[in-house]
Amino acid sequence: MKRIAALLRRRLAGAVPVLFIVIAFAFLLLESAPGDAVDAYLVSVGGGDATLAASLRAQYGLDQSTLSRLWLYLAALTHFDLGWSVAFDRPVLSLIGERLPTTLVLMGSATLLSFGLGSFLGIVAASHPGSLRDRLLSMASLTLYAIPGFWLALLLLIVFAVDLRWLPFSGFETVASHKTGLARLADIARHLVLPVVTLSLIYLALYLRVMRAAMGEVWRQDFILFARARGLSARRILWRHVARNALLPLVTVLGLQSAAMLGGSIIIESVFAIPGFGRLAQEAVAGRDAPLLVGLILVSALFVLSINLVVDLLYAWLDPRVGSVEAR
Amino acid sequence: MSHFALSRRHLLKGTALAALSVPFSTFAMAEDGTRRLTVAADSEPKNLNPAIVASNGVFYIASKVIEPLAEASFTGADGLEPRLATAWEGSADGLSVTFKLRDGVTWHDGKPFSSADVAFSALEIWKKLQNLGRSVFANLETVDTPDALTAIFRFAKPTPFQLIRNALPVVTSVVPKHLYEGTDIATNPANVKLVGTGPFRLAEYKPGEYYRLTRNDAYWDKTAPKLDEIIYRVLPDRAAAGAALEAEEIQLAAFSAVPLSDLARISKVPGIKVISKGYEALTYQLVVEINHLRKELADLKVRQAIAHAIDRKFVVDTIFLGYATASTGPVPKNAPQFYTADVEAYDFDVAKANALLDEAGYPRGTDGKRFALKLLPAPYFNETRQFGAYLRQALAAIGIEAELVNNDSAAHQKAVYTEHAFDLAIAPPVFRGDPAISTTILVQSGTPAGVPFSNQGGYANAALDEIIKKASETVDEEARTELYKTFQQKVAEDLPLINVAEWGFITVARDTVENVASNPRWAVSNWADTALKS
Amino acid sequence: MGMMARLLRTRSGLIGACLLLVMALAALAAPVLFPGDPLAIAGPAFLPPLADTAFPLGTDSLGRDVLAGLFHGARASLAVGLAAALAALLVGLVVGTVAGFAGGWVDEVLMRITDAFQVIPRFLLALAFVSVLGGSMTTVVIAIALSSWTEPARLVRAEVLSIRERDYAAAARVIGMHPAEIAFREILPIALPPVLALSAIIVAAAIMIESALSFLGFGDPNIVTWGSMMAEGRNVLRSAPFLSVVPGIALLVTVLAVYLVSEGVNTALNNNQAVPRG
Repeated sequence: MKRIAALLRRRLAGAVPVLFIVIAFAFLLLESAPGDAVDAYLVSVGGGDATLAASLRAQYGLDQSTLSRLWLYLAALTHFDLGWSVAFDRPVLSLIGERLPTTLVLMGSATLLSFGLGSFLGIVAASHPGSLRDRLLSMASLTLYAIPGFWLALLLLIVFAVDLRWLPFSGFETVASHKTGLARLADIARHLVLPVVTLSLIYLALYLRVMRAAMGEVWRQDFILFARARGLSARRILWRHVARNALLPLVTVLGLQSAAMLGGSIIIESVFAIPGFGRLAQEAVAGRDAPLLVGLILVSALFVLSINLVVDLLYAWLDPRVGSVEAR
Repeated sequence: MSHFALSRRHLLKGTALAALSVPFSTFAMAEDGTRRLTVAADSEPKNLNPAIVASNGVFYIASKVIEPLAEASFTGADGLEPRLATAWEGSADGLSVTFKLRDGVTWHDGKPFSSADVAFSALEIWKKLQNLGRSVFANLETVDTPDALTAIFRFAKPTPFQLIRNALPVVTSVVPKHLYEGTDIATNPANVKLVGTGPFRLAEYKPGEYYRLTRNDAYWDKTAPKLDEIIYRVLPDRAAAGAALEAEEIQLAAFSAVPLSDLARISKVPGIKVISKGYEALTYQLVVEINHLRKELADLKVRQAIAHAIDRKFVVDTIFLGYATASTGPVPKNAPQFYTADVEAYDFDVAKANALLDEAGYPRGTDGKRFALKLLPAPYFNETRQFGAYLRQALAAIGIEAELVNNDSAAHQKAVYTEHAFDLAIAPPVFRGDPAISTTILVQSGTPAGVPFSNQGGYANAALDEIIKKASETVDEEARTELYKTFQQKVAEDLPLINVAEWGFITVARDTVENVASNPRWAVSNWADTALKS
Repeated sequence: MGMMARLLRTRSGLIGACLLLVMALAALAAPVLFPGDPLAIAGPAFLPPLADTAFPLGTDSLGRDVLAGLFHGARASLAVGLAAALAALLVGLVVGTVAGFAGGWVDEVLMRITDAFQVIPRFLLALAFVSVLGGSMTTVVIAIALSSWTEPARLVRAEVLSIRERDYAAAARVIGMHPAEIAFREILPIALPPVLALSAIIVAAAIMIESALSFLGFGDPNIVTWGSMMAEGRNVLRSAPFLSVVPGIALLVTVLAVYLVSEGVNTALNNNQAVPRG
């Protein structure tokens, strides 16, 4: 328990400077952008004059220097205030709070599916290394991994939503249906099938390959030899000993993938018109909405940091040898 | 091992079955028999108030809720039909315009509509805050309201009635005085939660998902509306609308949301129709903006050469797939009131273009190139980007090397209209029924930097400025029209910009949607007569 | 050389290397086979494949030759991938070596910066960068590099840390070599191989990110890449599917080839270890 507390403390202390760098970088990036929130707004309304532009800039605080805006932002942040979205005219926190769960549901389901299916297929592949089955699985998953996500998404969409009409076309749920309770959940689930399957198919390969490689490693270890010497059945060894121990590296991949998936959701949400985190990020960039973009980057960084923390804790719990050795 | 193999097969089969056996009903229409029209929307305007933001993106949604004094019409006198005003008349001296207002109109919150609302909207919003109204009503001094149904606009200087009339559908959205008076108008919550007099009320807005409009049972036209609900489904991916129509998730996609290149195919899909009518008063112009501060481009011969290098037929046939018309000058053919064909023409002639450039003193170098340019296509439309790719090739044919710059909207606005960091740009300005509020801003000099869609290419021509100024004060219609004809001739002659093509958009709808394109601004009109075949 | 031979002896390594070779040849041959601008309007628009011998793979919405685009696209896509990977490796090497060698607060600062870049979703970072600075070849390459340098940096740092205390590094210190010299001349060459193995994956990822950026409209319009061809073709995915399928397959094959090669490398490295039979 002490070990874990120490780990937690170290991680939290380390996170502060990291988050500060993230914020400063996001601010600098937007500062070097040609065109600001007012330019984006003027285009969206089809014109305006110079006085209007100037008064809007004053209203958004864009007439102040970057440094003073960064300072104000950080000051507000200490009260957990993420600022005001210029493009949406709403508090950033409430916007993110509204969109993040959608993406988390999408990502969570996709992670579960690809993790489950991927590690299962990895075990299947590893049970007969070099067999036709192994090679087919390897090849198929690699091919899926090599397909650009947007393309796979479009193909699945056309086949299953437009031609076969088995699944809804896009969105998170049926619009303006006012469903509640279980009916609403079922509705959301139906809408999520295509995007979740797309994301899962892409990331499937990763888990499959890591699992397969880890199984190979574990096979060679002494305790497996011991188990085999004891005369346990191959099946029992495979599931009870090898697979279980091979899960460890998989958990690490899970942590590393969280950031990638969050990024990957941008494209998937765009294709499937899901009002989530990724879409919001696109809109923030297009609208030069500094507070919103910084908020989004900050929240995703926090999210990734906490996933990594959870993975570390999980690791420490699964494998008592870790924890005392701080690898980073 | 065999045990394992068996269980694996079993498991796989299990998952496959689970995935397939869930009953998937196809598309969800309202089950309770509501007449619901679902349409595609590609943007979510931050400010939905059409009295402040007179743009097509806002009108597309807000025009069903908030109405103008008059709407464009195929059949009405002067191309107009009444909405909140039933009659309008300008005085001979151009100093006043009298509107007779419709009786028995109520706001969605139940309060009666009256001339006070019109006076308030005009003086406090159109004149002070609206992107276009600021110039149209610049000289508006007072609005007299002798009775609840009469509003008399009084101007400090003569203001052409022709301009006011042409601008009526665009600049005169009336909002309720009782919700705006004494508040900060720019941040009033009613800018998002619209309250109007239109056939539909704004019932719900879910950001990123949809807008829901419901029937206004108390609408002044008792025969309308014919729909119970309109849903604007937000589909930001521009290529999604076609597939959504096919999947029957939406029933209508306006503003060419279905790419032109997909129209030939989708028009053959049973149950889907392609409609090119209904945008006659919303003509967009494809324009090459020129930075005259650049030495080569300040030379008329070079500009003429560029004009000759553009194959307008290719642009119309290949980029617009026939859904456009080649332009002759700064006023589109769709504005017969002002249009003249009697202007300098630039036919597609590469040899002539090359000769002009040689003449101008820009011979080809050893690599065949004369000089290099930065070309910035506006990112708003697929067609402006495609024309950019085409223009780059067309310029290469006459020895001008163009580098395309791919900016998003905000960066494009900054580069072209604030920093003049372009040589050629491609713009899609919209013709709003009168040159005074459309074309002239791209020619007129003296606009400060930072104003979008204005002349920021450093072009200054005193004679043209004079014509534009005079036309803005000329009350006599014939004289004013004549001035704009001269304007067109001079622009075509001196080429401050090059007009390439003009186009209206395309609506694609399911066959069940009726009365589509019933007026020349249909997509941004009130849809009171739009119905669904049951 | 020995590594190369061992790599080619593995099945996946051989297939991958052959495929990559074909792509590289296509990229090199592009200006010879298809001189001139591949973006030039060469014929009628929307010509289907095999309809005209002049355009075996047809033409796109403006009448540009798809086959020429495919070859020149190989060139541009591979160039983007290589340039981005090179930039990422370079930054990663420098940061990793300096951090690993200097230790102390320098290491601390550099690693916190690395952390910061690692916790921002990669694609979000690239997207924000490109959309803010405009879609050109340079910004796309920088954006991809910016989102890919952290892994090599970490890897190099770990290697450097493990090598630093070994004898020859200590010896170099004793004979009075400048620390920077020790780091970059003695230690880096030894730490390099595992990083190079990672580079193939970065190239593949870079090609994928470029295509995704093009898909969202942030590519460089002056250059034809497979991603930009797919983005162009997606509008007519149903009426002219070949426009996105053809470059899509090229992209898929290339990325797959890279993965196969890296798999081959792994197999070759592990070959002497026994593989159990279940």
